[in-house]
Amino acid sequence: MLAAADVQDGPDLARMRRDRYARVQAQLTTHDLDGLLLIGGSNVEYATGARVLTADAGRAAMFRTVAYVARDDPFPHVFAAYPEGLPAELPADHIHPVVYPELGIRPVGEIIGREKSVGLDEYTPAMWRELVGSRLVDFVDASPVMSAARLCKTVDELRCIRMAQHVNEQAMPDVEAVLRPGVRQTDLSGLFLRRIFELGATGNAVDPIWQVMPDRISDGPWTVHGDVAFPTATTDAMLRDGDVVWVDTGITFCGYASDFGRTWLVCAPPGPPRPTGAQLDQFARWRAVVEAVLDTVKPGATGGDLTRAARSVLPADARTPWLEHFYLVHGVGVDSAEMPLIGTDLGSAFDESIVLAPGMVLVLEPVIWDDGASGYRSEEIVAVTDSGWIPLSDHPYWPFGS
Amino acid sequence: MDPVVGPPVLAVRVVGSGVSGSSVGVAALEEGSRVDFARLRSSRHSRCLVAMEEAGLDVLILGRPGNIHWVSGARSLWTAGVRAFGPGAVVVRSTGAIHLLSVWDEGVPASIGRERLYGLSWNPVTLASSVAAIPGVAEAATIGTDAMSPLFASLLAAVAPRARLVDGAVPMWAARRIKSDDEVACLRIACALTEAGLDAMVSALRPGVRERELIGVFDERIASLGVTTPALEGVCCVAGADGQLRQVPGDRTLAAGDVIVLSPGALYAGYEGGLGRTWIVGPGDGGEAGGGEGGEGRGLADLYRRWRVAFDRLLGTCRPEETGANLVGAWTSTGERLPSIPLIHGVGVGVEPPVVGPARLGEDAVLAAGMVLSVQGLVSEPGVGTVFGRETILVGGMAGDQAEVLTRFGWGPLAAGGVGG
Repeated sequence: MLAAADVQDGPDLARMRRDRYARVQAQLTTHDLDGLLLIGGSNVEYATGARVLTADAGRAAMFRTVAYVARDDPFPHVFAAYPEGLPAELPADHIHPVVYPELGIRPVGEIIGREKSVGLDEYTPAMWRELVGSRLVDFVDASPVMSAARLCKTVDELRCIRMAQHVNEQAMPDVEAVLRPGVRQTDLSGLFLRRIFELGATGNAVDPIWQVMPDRISDGPWTVHGDVAFPTATTDAMLRDGDVVWVDTGITFCGYASDFGRTWLVCAPPGPPRPTGAQLDQFARWRAVVEAVLDTVKPGATGGDLTRAARSVLPADARTPWLEHFYLVHGVGVDSAEMPLIGTDLGSAFDESIVLAPGMVLVLEPVIWDDGASGYRSEEIVAVTDSGWIPLSDHPYWPFGS
Repeated sequence: MDPVVGPPVLAVRVVGSGVSGSSVGVAALEEGSRVDFARLRSSRHSRCLVAMEEAGLDVLILGRPGNIHWVSGARSLWTAGVRAFGPGAVVVRSTGAIHLLSVWDEGVPASIGRERLYGLSWNPVTLASSVAAIPGVAEAATIGTDAMSPLFASLLAAVAPRARLVDGAVPMWAARRIKSDDEVACLRIACALTEAGLDAMVSALRPGVRERELIGVFDERIASLGVTTPALEGVCCVAGADGQLRQVPGDRTLAAGDVIVLSPGALYAGYEGGLGRTWIVGPGDGGEAGGGEGGEGRGLADLYRRWRVAFDRLLGTCRPEETGANLVGAWTSTGERLPSIPLIHGVGVGVEPPVVGPARLGEDAVLAAGMVLSVQGLVSEPGVGTVFGRETILVGGMAGDQAEVLTRFGWGPLAAGGVGG
């Protein structure tokens, strides 16, 4: 049975790749497909373990690694943009020259063959012209296969997430230490990014967010739904005494994402910042929501059980304790937000259909908002075990509490 | 709030077009010099609508962040890598309107209009309905897209049953191909940012530093200049004597005398600057990087001279009307092997076509004045090492149709002739 100590070690990456590939194969059988053609970065990473250069969306789209997984084939076919990133166990006859899905993909069609039913995650117009639109192969949506395979993590995946989170957390005390009037958001990003690579991060997944929150929603930014705007992109904006800063960062370790969320306060020297009574009360309510949800987390509990638990500790007329465009809970893995998603606009029936199982990873991100007095938001990550959960995050709630 | 649509403002390259010494900076100046972003957005909007008309597109549904950024001018959150397809922006030709998937108006140009923002949904059916509710979509006969997923294609067929789904990527590439002066100004700033980051990386080279730490050094330097959007994690890889180029940085610890390839990039307002150099790790005691010892170092200096010859031949061929095949021919005519990586790719708001390289990749591409390219070359010799270099250039930017090299950075120990000490 999984215990907290099990995720403290480093991952066995070769075992992790074997286990993930077996899950993909099992789902191919379950969904009765002949193969899977994958061009999405996280799907390719999961199915093949091929490392790529971290880059912005434009470069990553042009210089992609592409995978074709044939049912019962012991290895995936990989069309590698970065051959040095391929796992050592991949046999030579499964390694192919790079293809450019933005421009064309003919060699992939030759590997797939004809008259098959193949899952596909997405395609470009060039792929449509040369392959998908030809109808020689019956292409269907690959997402049921991939989300089922990716939903429950192996112990090595949990170790990667734990390590990503650990590196992310270890970088934060240095950033907290420089928080004072006149420091720019981009200064915090620079310091944070240097530290994560010193501490062993594989890459950075998202431009770090240090959003200064308004007192009231009507102070802006304007939103389509009338709820709080978050997360907005970092600029060179200067922080000021009294600012409430919502922090959200995500890095990667061996392909797996962290998710660090905290609320900070800016104050003039000598500091440290002292939350007001109202702010401490927000934090207390946030904590109560997290504790109520965690008390509910165990195999067999539904997403609906979790949302009810979150609301149960607040007055009946309280705001929903999470952002309307997001969720109470999301998963994390090779994507920074993936299934299970709980509390989204997919609705309560969808939440009820989510049944927790061992290996699922839950990122809890409740939000307490008192319009006129801003709000509190932090994030905690746990993995579901056979009987409950173990933590994957471990960081104090500076400057609100330990 | 109606978008102003005029004739497309295309770049007309003027030789020596007055790039002043104050132009390469990121802060706004009170007199309004530097980039005129309103003019930049208006130009791109016009070019998009012209491209739609030429391709016969009633509606354009965009999923690629580069296209969304280019057409909308919205400053969105940078995330690494490709994301799953979603309809991030919709352009309707009949109204000229740009509709944007954004929950808030922060970072969104006012000219888009709040009423043209549609919210994020985790339910693809809801998202398809949001797209269908945009005036002009339901009755569209031809919808272009730059990417698609099987699920969204079927949802779209249900909400816009009369529409034929066609290629929206090629028209967008065409619209983005020739840069306006404002776009070139952004690219110059991006190049200067990248040079600053490369300078910090070079300064950080010493024994004991790990390859991936150099990514953080680069990121911290550009952040100190107010920008936190790298184009790539910067290829900082020790190039061994095996002559193989690695591009994905790892955990290798640098040692004195190591030859390292550095090839970072940064985005300014979405526009990508990038350059690459091959450097030598110094002893770390304040002494100059002297390069490999004795014969090995001289071997590297020879490689650099060969690289220079081949790269200059390639650069000299980057002229209007030249084809991809001619560019490859220019490189191989020097006797150098064609690298396994592309010689050339377009840049603008991130990477664009053409991509020219081995296996006849991009052989039919034709260059034109006003295109901006990342040009890279590699000369390697097993047993000796590797020399890699990259520049960002503006085709037709100089007299006589010569390209203007937008990036500037020396070659340090390799060019100093001090190799081999």
